Amino acid sequence: MTVSKAFWKIVLKNIGTIITYTIILVSFGTINMSSGSMTTQFEAVKPKIAVFNHDEEVGMTQNLLEYLDKNAEVQQDYAEESVKDDLFYESIVMAIDIPEGYNTDFLAGKKPELHTRTSSGYAAELAKVMLNRYLTTAQSYATLDLSADEMAEKINATLNQKVQVETLAKVDTTQFSKATRYFSFANYAILACVITIICLIMSSFNRREIRRRNLVGSVELSKMNRVLLRNSCLYSFGVWALYIIIGYFLVGGPDLMNLRGALYAANSLVFCICATTIAYLISQLVHGNNAVNAVMNIVALGSSFLCGCFVPAEYLPDFVLTFAHILPSYYYVAANDTIGGLQGLEFGDVRPVLIDMAAVAGFAVIFVIAANVVAKVKQRE
Amino acid sequence: MFWHSFKYAFSTLIKNRALMFWTLIFPFALALMFNLAFMRLHDYDVFEPFEVAVVNDAGYDKAEIFKEAFKALSEGDERLFNTQYVSKERASELLENEEIEGFVYIADDEPHIQVKKNGSNQTVLATAVEQIMQSSQIIEDIATQKLSESPMAYLNAEQIYQNAVATVAEAEPNVKDDSRVMNMVVIEFYTLIAMSCMQGAMLSSEMIDRALPKNSHRGKRIAVAPTRKSVVVASNLLASYSILLVGVLALIAFMRFVLGVEFGANLGLICAHAAAGSLAATMLGMFLSIALKTNSGAKNIIVIIITMVGCLFAGMFGGQKGWFDSMMPFINKISPVGLITDGYYALYYYEDLGRYWMNLGGLLIISAVFLILSIRGLRRQRYDSI
Repeated sequence: MTVSKAFWKIVLKNIGTIITYTIILVSFGTINMSSGSMTTQFEAVKPKIAVFNHDEEVGMTQNLLEYLDKNAEVQQDYAEESVKDDLFYESIVMAIDIPEGYNTDFLAGKKPELHTRTSSGYAAELAKVMLNRYLTTAQSYATLDLSADEMAEKINATLNQKVQVETLAKVDTTQFSKATRYFSFANYAILACVITIICLIMSSFNRREIRRRNLVGSVELSKMNRVLLRNSCLYSFGVWALYIIIGYFLVGGPDLMNLRGALYAANSLVFCICATTIAYLISQLVHGNNAVNAVMNIVALGSSFLCGCFVPAEYLPDFVLTFAHILPSYYYVAANDTIGGLQGLEFGDVRPVLIDMAAVAGFAVIFVIAANVVAKVKQRE
Repeated sequence: MFWHSFKYAFSTLIKNRALMFWTLIFPFALALMFNLAFMRLHDYDVFEPFEVAVVNDAGYDKAEIFKEAFKALSEGDERLFNTQYVSKERASELLENEEIEGFVYIADDEPHIQVKKNGSNQTVLATAVEQIMQSSQIIEDIATQKLSESPMAYLNAEQIYQNAVATVAEAEPNVKDDSRVMNMVVIEFYTLIAMSCMQGAMLSSEMIDRALPKNSHRGKRIAVAPTRKSVVVASNLLASYSILLVGVLALIAFMRFVLGVEFGANLGLICAHAAAGSLAATMLGMFLSIALKTNSGAKNIIVIIITMVGCLFAGMFGGQKGWFDSMMPFINKISPVGLITDGYYALYYYEDLGRYWMNLGGLLIISAVFLILSIRGLRRQRYDSI
C-alpha cells in the first residue's frame, strides 16, 4: 500500500507532464487529421486556384473561365500581393493570368499565351493537367473553321467525357483515415507520457538513499518491484483509456463502435504495454530527470518520425522504413494503416493486423528480458 | 575582470549537460529526423511506372486509337505503365492479388477501368484513359468536319484522318509557367533554427539567475564581490550568446552542407539573421530571469511554451503558417520564432530583400525592448540585508 501510495503521489506530482502531452496529442493530432496536404487521392478535391482575367468575359475567355470554375475552386476577389506566399504555403496551387485580347487572339489563330504560377504537390499537378487538357483540346478545335460558340460547344462536349471507374472496394476506407492518423499520432503521446512518468517514478525509487532505505524496510524488494510493475501497468492502462476516450470524440466515435474500432483500441493497448516495458528498460539504464527527458524525447520523437507517425509511411525513404523494422512503433503504425484499409472484418482480413500486434507484443517481451538482465547485472555490481 | 567573469560563465554553461543537450544537441537530432521524414515529401519529379493490365479481347481489338495510345504510354523510358495484356479473368485475379493497380477493358466501344482501391496511381490511370477518350473524340470531330467540308474529301478520308491524328498530337498548351520550384518543407527546418535560437533563452536565463542575489545563493555571493553588477551580467550574457550563436551557426551549417537544406545564396545575411535571432533569445532569457520570481525550471518551461507555440504558428508540425497568417496576421510579426522563420523564408524565396530586413529589424527591436525592460528591472536594486 505504501509503495502504491508513493507511486501515485509521484504521478500526481507530474500531472502537468501528462496534461502537456495530452494537449499535444489533441491539438497537433487535430491539425494532423485535418491537414489535406498529404493526400494522394487528388481527384477527391478540386484544386484551389486564383484567376486574374485581363480580358473581356466573352467567347473563348468566358468558356475558359467557366471551365475553370467547374473543375477547380476558383478563389474570388483574390489579392495579387498574396499570390507568392499562398503558392508557397499551398493555400492556392495555381495562379492563372489571362492576357488582354485572349478571346480575339485565340479566334484569330494566334495561340495567345497564358501565364501561370504553380506550387508543388499533387494538387498543383492536377491543376496543370486540368488546364493543359482544356488548352490542347481548344488548340485542336482551333484548326477548324468554327465560331466561338461552336468551338466552345465542341470543347465542352469533349471534356465532359469521363471514364467509368468501377471499384472492387466494398467499404469506402477514406472515412477511417482520421482514426488511422489519430491512432498513429498517439504513438508519440503514448511513448512520451508512459516513458516520462514511469521512468521518473522508477528513478525516484532507484535513488541510492531511497533504495537503501527501502532495502532495510519491511517490504520485500521483490514485492516492491511487483507492486511498482502492477501500478505501472495500471498507469499505462489509464493513459490508454484516456486516449481512447479522447479519440472517441475527435474521430467520430459512433463510426468506430464496431470491430474496426475494437481493433484500433486493442492495437493501441498492446502498444501501451510495449511502451511500459520500454520505460521499464530505460529506467534500468538511465537515472535523473534530465537524462530521462532527453532519452524519452529521442526515443519518442525518433520512433515517431522514422515509423510514419507524423508523416505517412508511404512518403518515407525505403532505407528509413527498412531501419524502422527494428522499432515496435513501425508495427503499431503498420497495424493502424491496415485496420484503416480493411475491406472485411473476417479472420483472414484481420490476420495481418494480428501479426503486427504480435510483433509489438514480442518487442515487449524482449524489453522485459533485457530490463531484467540489466537489473541483474546492476544488482551484482 | 570582464573576461575573467566571461571565462567562468562560459565554463559553467559548457559543463551544464542538460542545457547543452536541449540547446545544442537536440536540434541536430531533430534536424536529422526532419530530413529523414520529409526528404521524399515533395519528391514529385520521381515518377515510377506502375503495373496495370489491359483486357485483350474482341472489344480491345476493335479500339484502334485506344490500342495505339495505350501502347505509346507503356513503352520507353518515360512510360507511365508496365502493361500486361491478359484475359478479363486473369486481370481480375491480378487485381485481387494486388499485383496490378487496375485494369482497363473495352465494353460497348467505351473504355472502363476496374480498381481495387482509390489512390494516386489509380487516378493517373483514369486520367490517362480519359485523355485517350477525349483525343479520340477530337480526332473524330476534326475528321468529320473536314469530310463534311467537301464531297471530294471522302477520296482522301485516310489522309484526313491521319492529319486529324497529327493535329491532336501536335496540339501543345501555350502556357508560360513563371513559378519557381520551391520546397515547402524548408519551413520545417527554418522553424527548427528558430526553435534552436529560442531554446537558447534558457542559457541566459540560467546565467542571470546565477548572477542575481534574489535568484540564487551564488548570486548572493557574487553580489558581495567587488565586481560591478553590469560587468557580471554583461559577461554572463556574452557567454550565453556566444555559445548559442556558435550552436545555431553549426546547426545551419549542418542543415546546409550535410542535409542539403536550401537557404538562398547570401551567406552573410544568413549568419546575420542567426545572430539577431540568438540575440533576441538571449535578451528574452535575461528578461524572464529578472521579471519572474520563480525557479529556473519554471522559467525553462515558459521558454519552451513560448518557443513551441511560436513554432506552431510559424509552420512547424505540418506547415500551417499560411493558415495562421490568414487568421492572425499579427502573430508571426511579433513572435521571435515567426520573425526568424520568415527571415529565412524571405532569403530563400524572395529576390527582394525588403521582407528580410523587416524581419531582421523586428528581431532587433524585440531584443532592444527586452534589454530596456531588463535594465529597468536591474537598476537601483540594492539590498540592506540578503
